[in-house]
Amino acid sequence: MNAMPRLPSTWFDGRSPRAQACDLCIEGEELVLTLESGVRRYPLREVRWAERRSHGHRQSELPDGSLIQHADAGEWDAWRQASGQREGAVVGWMQSWRATLVAMVASVVFLGAAWTWGVPWLSQALAQQVPHSLEVRLGEQGMQQLDRLFLQPSALPAQQQEALRTRFRSAVERAFPEGSSPAWQLAFHRSQALGANAFALPGGFIVITDDLVNLLTDQPDAITGVLAHELGHVHHRHGLDLMVRASLVSALVGVVLGDASGFLASVPATLATQAYSRDAERAADAFAAQLLERSGVSPSVMVAFFERIRQQEETDQDDGGHGDTTLPIAIASHPGHDERIRFFREWQPEPARP
Amino acid sequence: MAQHDDFEATEFLSEGRSPTGDPERTLDIHFTGSGSEYFRIWIVNLLLTLVTFTLYWPFARARRLAYFQNNTLVGRDPLGFHGDPWKMFRGYVLMLMFGVSYWAVSNFAPSFAWLPLLVLAVLWPALWRASLQFRLRNTSWRGVRMAFEGDLQGAYLCMLPFFIPVLLMGVAFGVAASTTRGAEEGEAGAALAAATGLMVLAMTALSPWLLARIKRYQHGGYAFAQERTRLTAGLGAFYGFSFRVMGVSLLCSALLAGVGGIVAALVGASAGAGMVLLPFLLALAYLVFPLVLMPYTTSRLQNLVWGHTRSRRIGFESQLRFAPLMRLTAKNWLLIALTLGLYWPFAKVHTARLRLEAMGVSVQGDLNAWLARAQGADKGILGDAAGDFFGIDMGL
Repeated sequence: MNAMPRLPSTWFDGRSPRAQACDLCIEGEELVLTLESGVRRYPLREVRWAERRSHGHRQSELPDGSLIQHADAGEWDAWRQASGQREGAVVGWMQSWRATLVAMVASVVFLGAAWTWGVPWLSQALAQQVPHSLEVRLGEQGMQQLDRLFLQPSALPAQQQEALRTRFRSAVERAFPEGSSPAWQLAFHRSQALGANAFALPGGFIVITDDLVNLLTDQPDAITGVLAHELGHVHHRHGLDLMVRASLVSALVGVVLGDASGFLASVPATLATQAYSRDAERAADAFAAQLLERSGVSPSVMVAFFERIRQQEETDQDDGGHGDTTLPIAIASHPGHDERIRFFREWQPEPARP
Repeated sequence: MAQHDDFEATEFLSEGRSPTGDPERTLDIHFTGSGSEYFRIWIVNLLLTLVTFTLYWPFARARRLAYFQNNTLVGRDPLGFHGDPWKMFRGYVLMLMFGVSYWAVSNFAPSFAWLPLLVLAVLWPALWRASLQFRLRNTSWRGVRMAFEGDLQGAYLCMLPFFIPVLLMGVAFGVAASTTRGAEEGEAGAALAAATGLMVLAMTALSPWLLARIKRYQHGGYAFAQERTRLTAGLGAFYGFSFRVMGVSLLCSALLAGVGGIVAALVGASAGAGMVLLPFLLALAYLVFPLVLMPYTTSRLQNLVWGHTRSRRIGFESQLRFAPLMRLTAKNWLLIALTLGLYWPFAKVHTARLRLEAMGVSVQGDLNAWLARAQGADKGILGDAAGDFFGIDMGL
């Protein structure tokens, strides 16, 4: 066996800042450190070797807390190599520009895949795991909060409320003859803040405002359609789903941006939530169309609803953009009206449903 | 790229020098890290962190800290980082579990969201101290580990003033909530608003004092060999600092208002112009405040705190100037935006260089004769993770 290469270096004993000249050599499974005062031996495996880099000193920590410090990085690497020592794969990876480029592309691919498939899949899976009783409690808490902040008791006659409720119930029963529809509970409320609106909370709480009912007084089937859309959200558990998604996305963004500012991190999270919520609206629209069709109502009744909203939007804009611009179930997070009108007008039942 | 290739061997300080008196020497600080190398480290760390669902994160952090500390030369010797990534991993998993349970509670039982927050608030000073201990214990210079010697009681005492207003606020909200159940909703609301306003005012007036307490504890606990630092800056210096920061932010606001006024005058003050102007001004505010106020605060605070940190034989100085830091910040932001974030590691390295090289250390006497005090057991796995999770780190 050839004599192993030796390297003159610097050693600190860990107790005093005094540097001592030393001489390094690897013999078998041991690192041999020769000082003026004597020789020290350390098992190779217990040394925390410095990672190879092109900048900075090399520092290797010895098991007794002492330290080898070498200023010339190239010299150190040459000695390590000549002594037959190898470094970890990750370290070599970081030194190669080609490997770094591969890592960059892989990161982008991973993020893209997580965004398109991972997050939706995981959030759906998690949302389906939440027990129904917990979901109901969540919805109740949400209702209480909304009640306090935005909702007033409905001014609609009890008779009209009951008629609409019965109409929706019979539509649901016709669409789900075997009684497999998600549980729901419908409430009418007057709300200045929300305008003409309808929404669903986890646990099957559906709320429709007086303004929206009044907007569609002559189109009770469109009201059924709107409620069916909300039932779609309940069916898909969109409330929970979106909550989980928002958290997952902000976690993902947090990993990528690390210690970048909180403001920067919140922007992609908001955008992502909007994009996902458009998907949720489409899914709810599809559910509504199916429900209407199966209960014997043409999905095109929803066209009237969208056209009324558009009219209202236009009058609002003519007023100078002020006043009540809150739009019924159509905010920025919803797909455009034209797209949705086309969807309901052209909707065809799928030939075979699982 | 390699501007510090001419590494020189460690200087042997006192060999052959006569020990007459205690000459003071100033050690310059140099930062030898390179943006392109840190970029490679960052990308590979990012990928590994992503594909392991963040479990690799503590290993990435250990590597990053080692890179930055090994490239920080005090005199001619670098700082060392010795944190054991597996210990940091345990701390990370604990913090992850805490984060997930907080998320679950705040989403599924919002009425109990205060509970984990309370637990965190009560543990916070201890976590902060543990994180300082971990960080210092695992940082070395010339083979000697540093230490953080602030005690637990001190950590709680220096943060106590934060808890009192929060507690009062909680009581006020509790009282208000119970009275709003009754009839006079408006009155209670007004009282609550008044109390909140008063509290905010008091907190603003006291915040320099709070900052001084915290910094005094933090910078009074650093230890190297037999030396232990203390913060010599008085309360007046912290109030002066706060007034200057406030002045700069007022100046920024005045500037924004001025620009708004000029544009409004040019466009004509119609309602439509106002609608266009407001988002424009907001965007400008988002640019001006971080670009001016943040570098200003950073540079002044670093100078204030490090310039007044010293021990018997070690003194620090910091002369970080505002203008270069602002120019660098502006350049960094611009390039980060243009490269869709890929410039981030370069920005980080350049900022570290500017901030570190503005500092110096003066040492009195013969370093080689110094001795490290007995080191405690290598405990405190939670410390580091907690500190990083909430963004607390050393001043540099």
